[in-house]
Amino acid sequence: MSGTVPGLRHRRRLRAVLVRLATSLLVIWGAATVSFAALQLTPGSVADALVGTSIVSPQVKAQIIADYGLDRPVLTQYLSYLGMVVRGDLGHSYQLNESVGTAIWSQLGASLQLTAAGMGLALVLATVLALLTAKRSRWIRGVSSGAELVGTSVPIFWVGILLLTVFSFQLGWFPAAGGDGLAGLVLPAISMALPVTALLAQVMREGLERALDEPFVLTARARGMSDAAVRLRHALRHALLPVVTLAGWLFGLLLGAMVVIEQVFSRQGLGTLMLGAVTGKDLPVVMGVTLLTATVYVVVNALIDLLYLVIDPRLREAT
Amino acid sequence: MTGRFAPPALLLITALALSSCGAAAESDTKSTKPVSGGILRYAVNTEPSNLDPHASPSDITAVFTRPVLDSLVSLDPKGGVHPWLATSWQVSPDGKSYTFELRKDVTFSDGTPFDAAAVKANLDHVVDPKTKSELAAGLITPYKGTEVIGPHTVRVDLSRPHSPLLSALSTPYLGIQSPASLKLGADALARKVVGSGPFVIDAFTPRQGITYHRNPKYAWPPRGTAHTGPAYLDKLEFKVLREDSVRVGALTSGQVDAIGSVPPVNVSQVKADSRLWLETRQAPGGNYNYYPNTAKGVFSDVRVRQAFRAAIDLKTIIGKLYFGVFQPAASPIAPSTFGYDPGTEQLGGYDPQAAAKLLDEAGWTARDAQGYRTKNGERLTVRWMFVKMIAREQRAVLSEQVQAEARKAGIDVQFLDVTPSNYAPIALRGDYDLSDYSWQRVDADALRDLFASANIPNDQGGSGANASRYSNKDVDAWLDQTLDTVDPAKRAELYAKVQRKVVEDAAVFPVYTFNYVLGAARRVHGVTWEAQAYPSFYDAWVAAR
Repeated sequence: MSGTVPGLRHRRRLRAVLVRLATSLLVIWGAATVSFAALQLTPGSVADALVGTSIVSPQVKAQIIADYGLDRPVLTQYLSYLGMVVRGDLGHSYQLNESVGTAIWSQLGASLQLTAAGMGLALVLATVLALLTAKRSRWIRGVSSGAELVGTSVPIFWVGILLLTVFSFQLGWFPAAGGDGLAGLVLPAISMALPVTALLAQVMREGLERALDEPFVLTARARGMSDAAVRLRHALRHALLPVVTLAGWLFGLLLGAMVVIEQVFSRQGLGTLMLGAVTGKDLPVVMGVTLLTATVYVVVNALIDLLYLVIDPRLREAT
Repeated sequence: MTGRFAPPALLLITALALSSCGAAAESDTKSTKPVSGGILRYAVNTEPSNLDPHASPSDITAVFTRPVLDSLVSLDPKGGVHPWLATSWQVSPDGKSYTFELRKDVTFSDGTPFDAAAVKANLDHVVDPKTKSELAAGLITPYKGTEVIGPHTVRVDLSRPHSPLLSALSTPYLGIQSPASLKLGADALARKVVGSGPFVIDAFTPRQGITYHRNPKYAWPPRGTAHTGPAYLDKLEFKVLREDSVRVGALTSGQVDAIGSVPPVNVSQVKADSRLWLETRQAPGGNYNYYPNTAKGVFSDVRVRQAFRAAIDLKTIIGKLYFGVFQPAASPIAPSTFGYDPGTEQLGGYDPQAAAKLLDEAGWTARDAQGYRTKNGERLTVRWMFVKMIAREQRAVLSEQVQAEARKAGIDVQFLDVTPSNYAPIALRGDYDLSDYSWQRVDADALRDLFASANIPNDQGGSGANASRYSNKDVDAWLDQTLDTVDPAKRAELYAKVQRKVVEDAAVFPVYTFNYVLGAARRVHGVTWEAQAYPSFYDAWVAAR
């Protein structure tokens, strides 16, 4: 691309960014629309869901319907919701007696902490595990992949209870509940990291092994490079690309894990907020969380695309 | 005393504390004289989505707000009504007006004085459609209005006599909140409730819990408390630990001082632990019962209803499933309810032969290939409106065991796909054969909710708790009479008639009586029980560690 006129290159880049932005907005809008439709399709009306199994007086029911405008046609409700979102207002929860913005904001911190800690821990553990076990003797790899299989298949709920029983109830090292600082984050983060570590380690080891078979590794070794240096400086970079791709996908998995972890460790977070909202047909909250997660997805994917460029210099030429 | 388990350093500190503080030392060795101060951490299994008891119908809302809210009157376990914020009251001869004289020395924790206008503001708030009350307003359906007669005299007017008014007023659902706080609106009340009670809310954090501090000015407890004046505890903290095993683990490892809803399977473990104690309290009002649809379908035939009840050995199933923690029920209401009729215990036991005979008589004589009974080619099918999503206390397991037992008698029990979102429409249509719920209330007026024909689910009003769709002129008349008479003996007699009639008619299959199970560390003392079987922390205190 060195031959192109600087102005043209600039314009092309701008166009790429604009296209990216437009598709991102489309993704977010699509997510909101699909979840709106899905919630409309589940059986029962919102007004019934709000009172649950109690039979309320006709006055109370009329008040609920009037308060949330539930008597309007679905399309009107949908359009007025979109209008509000465009104006930056996520609406008011049907169930929680607070605005959706406040509800999400109050839970966001706890979820971010948990995700960051869990994901960070998983990446470190998986990298170390993969580096130590790739292309090693048969029994080391066997033990490691056996452990990984257990890690991916054990339910998080069970892991959480086990960790609590040993490290909280027996040894008393960590509190059983509450997000009181770092001590309260350790066990939830480990529970979250365990299945992710197992998955990432498998993928990473496979990538490493493939890279270690490449001729350039042989060249490096021939130049007298140590095994550790070969693994760290050459092979690891090659093994990272599939991991980064997977990490973007894992983000969705983590949201599911969050629900369980928040329940077991009595933590605040978006998982429980979302679960309660879906079961209670709390449309504004469901939509709010969906919009947020869709946005995060888009951002994470954009970041991943940038990361590809950092990791693999060959890709930089293309832009 | 926990000293035996404490590490040496802690023992030393305890010893120092004992030698420096005489009062504490005495109470610690004898554990009888209350000490002031300290914090009590109590773990519960659920939380309210809305703290305002005027709006929310949940039991847990009452548990969370009782420390903060006083009531006009208090209720003893025998159904006796006593003064609290009201010093005395008079009922007009026609039973439609209640005039209350109020205490003059009470202030809310936000500084607002308690007076007649405050009472009016509260009751008006309860019935205001904007409050969207799901329970409280239903407790005072004949409410017409409140008249402020003097600064501390107030008259509550009803459209018809309603003798359960006083016991309803004793519950936290009609607890008296600060009028200034009521003005802040539904969103604010959902997070913070201000009253005149012994504790004051610091903060309610959803999915974490709630913290309170002591109200230092408190001097107006109800009758029957062990002390007067401010509460002993500096602070009170409720933590929400939803997982049963986590709650029990937090108690046994000393991370909380007490827990509610000890799972039946862990009861013997907690009892055996020398560092802990355990107490159960039977909840009054409607038991957890099954309600057959008597208006249409297979259960419109009384013989089929009687057969179903006789075919299932609920006593054995419940004994095994709940380890004796919840008792099998005989009447629709719990034995701890004032007005309970022990005569019901002689009615309707397990008798598979009688069940088979009744079904034969009802014409369900043939059998199909799967062994279920049939009549005119139709299988004897019971469609159960069971809401699995919100089933607690292993009710789902119980329902499956009932299904298996019914199968032996040739009855096919099927579960309808019901969620909280579509429960109400199905209930209103009456499109089910069997329904199940508990209806804990402070008194036997629960029977009126459950069996008065006006309370068959409909979209005109009423409690909607008569899912049996039971309509009997005698029962309706008896229940109406209970509203007219304030004489406890006469009311008890009427309630007994109702219980016997509905059990004889098999309009209800009594299942089990719920017990609130509280587990606590030995150093926790003085926890008492509300009339509705919630723990009360006003007299509670904790000994030094």
